[in-house]
Amino acid sequence: MYKYDEYDQQMVDARVAEFSDQVRRRLAGEITEDQFKPLRLMNGLYLQLHAYMLRVAVPYGTMSSKQLRMLGHIARTYDRNYGHFTTRQNIQFNWPKLRDIPKILELLASVEMHAIQTSGNCIRNITTDQFAGAAADEILDPRPVAEILRQWSSLHPEFLYLPRKFKIAMSGATHDRAAIRFHDIGLQATTNAEGEIGWEVWVGGGLGRTPIIGKLINPHVPHEHLLAYLESILRVYNRYGRRDNKYKARIKILVHEEGIDNIRAQVEEEFSHVKGGVLTLPQDELDRIGAYFAAPAFERLNSSAIDVAREKIINPSYGRWLDNNLNAHQRPGYVSVTVSLKPIGGAPGDATSEQMEAIADLAERYSFDELRVSHEQNLVLPHVKIADLPAIYEKLVEIGFAEGNAGLITDMIACPGLDFCALANARSIPIAQELSRKFAAPERQKQIGDLKIKISGCINACGHHHVGHIGILGVEKKGTELYQITVGGDATEQASIGDILGHGFVAEDVPDAIERLVDTYIARRESEAEPFIAAFRRLGKEPFKEALYGNG
Amino acid sequence: MATVSAVASSPLHSAHKPDPLRQLGIMSLNGMFDEMDGVAVLKQAKEILPDDLAIVSSFGADSAVLLHMVAQVDVALPVYFLETGKHFAETLTYVETLKQHLGLTNIITLVPDPKDLARFDPNGDLWENDPDSCCHIRKTEPLDAAMEGYGGWVTGRKRYQTKERGVLPHFELTSDDRIKVNPLAYFSDVEVNAYKLKHGLPEHPLFAKGYKSIGCAPCTTIVAEGEDPRAGRWRGLNKKECGIHFDFNGAIAKPMAAEDLTLFKDGAFIADPFRVWTEGDDPASVRYTHIPVTVFLANRDAVLANPHPVGLLVSPGDRVEDVEKDLGRFASVAINFPGFTDGRGYSSARMIVERYGYKGEVRAVGDVLADQIPLMRRCGIEAFVVKHEPTRKALEAGALATVDVFYQPVGKTEVPLGTRPFLRRAV
Repeated sequence: MYKYDEYDQQMVDARVAEFSDQVRRRLAGEITEDQFKPLRLMNGLYLQLHAYMLRVAVPYGTMSSKQLRMLGHIARTYDRNYGHFTTRQNIQFNWPKLRDIPKILELLASVEMHAIQTSGNCIRNITTDQFAGAAADEILDPRPVAEILRQWSSLHPEFLYLPRKFKIAMSGATHDRAAIRFHDIGLQATTNAEGEIGWEVWVGGGLGRTPIIGKLINPHVPHEHLLAYLESILRVYNRYGRRDNKYKARIKILVHEEGIDNIRAQVEEEFSHVKGGVLTLPQDELDRIGAYFAAPAFERLNSSAIDVAREKIINPSYGRWLDNNLNAHQRPGYVSVTVSLKPIGGAPGDATSEQMEAIADLAERYSFDELRVSHEQNLVLPHVKIADLPAIYEKLVEIGFAEGNAGLITDMIACPGLDFCALANARSIPIAQELSRKFAAPERQKQIGDLKIKISGCINACGHHHVGHIGILGVEKKGTELYQITVGGDATEQASIGDILGHGFVAEDVPDAIERLVDTYIARRESEAEPFIAAFRRLGKEPFKEALYGNG
Repeated sequence: MATVSAVASSPLHSAHKPDPLRQLGIMSLNGMFDEMDGVAVLKQAKEILPDDLAIVSSFGADSAVLLHMVAQVDVALPVYFLETGKHFAETLTYVETLKQHLGLTNIITLVPDPKDLARFDPNGDLWENDPDSCCHIRKTEPLDAAMEGYGGWVTGRKRYQTKERGVLPHFELTSDDRIKVNPLAYFSDVEVNAYKLKHGLPEHPLFAKGYKSIGCAPCTTIVAEGEDPRAGRWRGLNKKECGIHFDFNGAIAKPMAAEDLTLFKDGAFIADPFRVWTEGDDPASVRYTHIPVTVFLANRDAVLANPHPVGLLVSPGDRVEDVEKDLGRFASVAINFPGFTDGRGYSSARMIVERYGYKGEVRAVGDVLADQIPLMRRCGIEAFVVKHEPTRKALEAGALATVDVFYQPVGKTEVPLGTRPFLRRAV
């Protein structure tokens, strides 16, 4: 894991002091709320429906047990004893007081954490594969480059007042678990014909009210020129991105309006000036940062298979957990464990202080002190010995996070929705809870298989509904909360955006509507091996539309 | 407000004739008489303005140099002395000394309008409460009235004297189409003293006591070794000029107030020689004005032929690529931030400074606030036109909230240092 040196610490400490002064000046009336707003946003502080919300960065989703314990401590001391893990691998506290924020930031700084650029029209937290450095299908561990990008983008003076927010995601594996094609910039590790590893650069993807799949702008940028290339993209965007309309200000609109070829030419022109300059990344520096992410001291283990069938007979819940919540590891005898924060009927992504502390203990004891946050709002123990799985499971049962549902229909993404968010038109958490209960039966979930439901409480799409196999979007029509249903979205390397099937449903009718879609899939699939998304692609939307609205 | 006494003692000429001056072109004048040759500058001025040129002298510490040059050109040139009524006795003696020594035949004393004194300064202590107004009634008003009759006047101002005077040329066209002649503009402190020595000029009696710039007695103090020579004037007040000279940018002369010092540069608020472009300005003849990029591009030839110092105003959306090759023409580039959340200016500034190597002043104008200034500085902006009062206070107190360690190499000064890991540097 990356460790702050004196310099990093100095910077974060200075930032806390700077923001404390800004809070003081705001309270003293020296700056107006309009002037304060971008400053607080760049420090992760939102004003929500009921209170301030503080969003803390978990850079590329990686943290230590000490850091998670501190998050638990903050939740207990300054909030209502829980935090909410987000789709950008961050954590949000929903009820802090403005006067406590400087203290909270100080506590975070003491464990090498911060809230810098978790909001605002700047470069946000860089996200990546939650299994980075562990996954069996990895081309390279993206985290050293992610850390370098974190440093490059932190308080970059040119890019703190962009037209709109800017999100970068990276994938170092062949399977995209970071939704890179739905980010402003997506970076996919790749090997070119000469066998050199570099980055495919995708640009202009995004969700929100205009979902667009990113376009390939450059098929291979070597490490040494990556910063120069990204700075070139950012400069073109900063200069020419639209500022006349907030809803058309993301880079996806610029790319869409000007065309990818035109944007590519502008970026190349800029790159021709920047390339080879001070932003050239020396191999030394990559190695130096890379050393922080060196593999932990894995034991030499024989690859041991677990007899899941036998475990299922003894304890079906444990068997399901083994079936669904493990991810193949690079090292024999190890796996990555997904700790599902989606207990049946729970609020997706929420964890209490006690739960955070217990998971921190597990990480310390069984996973080389490392933890990950996934963009699907779960936590991950990346390096676990297979032999330790029973002990881990037992502890998870104790804290209520032992649901074996990772990747299944009840492992939903949901935004905070109208229960918390000032932007929302409709509630999302209660919809997720209702669906979770409806599909709670393990046999039913197994029968359905891989099906991702994603729920957003408004058009801003924080719940990623566009890329849900089934997406649910809360809207408000004539004072009523209605839910539009989309089908066929996919956030992976086979990126697609879901189709709206028809008019919306009132909240009470949503679970039944989803069930009709699921039943249609099961009735029409070729076999159990054909997942929902594949069946949808083969069948088209008609059968699903009919399931929702009849054939009239 | 006419001043009877001034009018009475002024040989009023017919109305001045500015057009030939303008046609001649101040720029070419300055080109022809560049640097140093003060007497030649003065001769040239007399040729252009026969019987239409006056000298203003404070009879201060350095005045002998200019008056010595005047005497070489024409001892009958009118020399005006502002008798404010507040001078040191030594100054009044010195007027006589120089008159005798140099053989000047036409020294005219201007006194304040007694009605003004009775009305605004009945107790003679206005300098204490409101030095700006004191200067105004004792200097600006009498001089304005006297100068009405002249097409041009000669001053002894020098560039080195204060930061505000750092752009001073030999010849200036003022806002009311008069010419100001500054034969000593390029003289340094050392050169002034060498000149005095070489020509055996009598010293102001107070000079040896440590007075380097001498005005009225109440507002003049001794200057310490190494201080700005004019630091002894209006010491402790945010005031640098008395008002009679404050139109070197072409603006109407008026008393200086603290709020007029809007330009923050080199650690202090100073008078801004530039003014804002306004609709209807003529790009061919404006001076000390930031011409918008769009106006410049549409009138490129006219601006390039404009003889006056001008700046360039770069607004969001302007393509700095289009002005790259002409940047050297401009004395100053203003980066416009119409709203502080519009970050386009940061990119423009970096390109102008880093990519195009522009060496002149780069300033931020518009919505310039305390929390963005550190970012602007990192992008190469070094001067700030500030209107926001708390920001002004923070700058004056040197108390900007900022993070002064950073990761990225940005701007001219942030190349990575060998002693630090890549991309990092502390201020």
